Amino acid sequence: MKEKVIVCRCEDVTEDEVIEAIQSGATTLEELKRVLRVGMGSCQGRTCGPILVSLLARELNKNPKEIKQWNKRPPLKPVHMKIFIEE
Amino acid sequence: MSNNYEVAIIGGGIIGMATAYYLSKKGIKLAVIDKKYIGSGSTGRCIGGIRQQFSNQTAIRLMKQSVELFSQMEEEFGFNVEFYKGGYLLLAHDKKTEQEFIKNIKIQHKEKINVSLVSPDDIKKLVPHVNTDGIISGAFCPDDGQAFPFAVLRGYKKIITENRGDFFLRNQVVKLEKNKNFSIMLQDGTKIEAEKVLLSTGPWTRELGKKVGLDLPLYPERHEAMITERMPKFFEPMIVDYRPDGCYFHQLINGQVIGCYTPVPNVPGIKEDASFEFLPNIAWRMTRLIPSLKNASVLRHWAGCYTMTPDGNPIIDESEIKGLYVASGMSGHGFMFGPAMGKFMAKFIIEGKWDMDFKDFSIKRSLKINAEQLK
Repeated sequence: MKEKVIVCRCEDVTEDEVIEAIQSGATTLEELKRVLRVGMGSCQGRTCGPILVSLLARELNKNPKEIKQWNKRPPLKPVHMKIFIEE
Repeated sequence: MSNNYEVAIIGGGIIGMATAYYLSKKGIKLAVIDKKYIGSGSTGRCIGGIRQQFSNQTAIRLMKQSVELFSQMEEEFGFNVEFYKGGYLLLAHDKKTEQEFIKNIKIQHKEKINVSLVSPDDIKKLVPHVNTDGIISGAFCPDDGQAFPFAVLRGYKKIITENRGDFFLRNQVVKLEKNKNFSIMLQDGTKIEAEKVLLSTGPWTRELGKKVGLDLPLYPERHEAMITERMPKFFEPMIVDYRPDGCYFHQLINGQVIGCYTPVPNVPGIKEDASFEFLPNIAWRMTRLIPSLKNASVLRHWAGCYTMTPDGNPIIDESEIKGLYVASGMSGHGFMFGPAMGKFMAKFIIEGKWDMDFKDFSIKRSLKINAEQLK
């Protein structure tokens, strides 16, 4: 059996799942996110982002520089709710 | 390649995809067009709540069907769409809201919805972490719930593709004309001919309608949302706080808490940018109801649009242009309406008649839009 390669540790997404998503039409990080939930966990894409960019570039025959970065969503790193309400 | 279709659906959100799904099951030759990708608009930004607690009879009947359809998705798609009946708990902090609940429950009971007025003690039992200070009662329906919008869209896309529906993505409609058929010109020069066209582009529907001379009373508003890290499951229902400075949130089956509030005053226009004031506001509003959320970590905050109509009910109908259909103005309920609406819309497009009374959602009803709302 082929070994699973985990690409997104927060959401347990494998390389094979990413490649399958790209082959069924995803061309950007935002689309991968909406298909696989990659980049939506605790790291907010900091771990999986660069790997996904290289997979997209490889599968789509593009230069990694052509792959658009994620939409940036605040607060970027996990922040306790109480931080927002403290005087 | 000739791009001739029986139906072209513009807008790959929940409404367009659900309609395409049901059309494709009937063997209709169709195309789905989206200027970005499937779920790039409001559906991909919504928090996935599903409720039957409406005051409008048509909405209640539609939602009863939707709940049924959501429950069948896992079997139809071959994967889990995270549909879960955790219920919806609406909270009244004043007599006026309570009266509103009592009135609505009567209407809902007529439609055989399992809903009841609950006391603060019942609320404490339903959600032990809730701070009941100031709560006089609630309305609770255990058959309401949630599903994962991305997964639902993925399922529809899978079946539409299997049924040989075509997709034109990352391709904006630049021209829409009616001659004998409709001709649609896309940004990259692709020409599409279709006998019938559905506009299901949410906040962009008004602009698109103008291309064919329709003046649709739709106005988008920005709504923001946030999500926390995963936590052990500690409450079931969607909690809706009806105070002007209230909010609504639920815990997803993966443990994340996701929530929104309706800004007062509203924020008109197609805006998908996140504001600075949202996180302090939502944190205060949510922790006021569930103090233990203070230690929950916020992962992400984003915005999307509600597409409003003057009376808060959708517009689903054939327009004054024969063969041109409109399904928009969901007023924040597109995801939950979607499955049933797609089913009815598909049948209406094919047969020209509704299976249900949709007078309240007709394009011909009186809808006057206020210039303020179009800013």
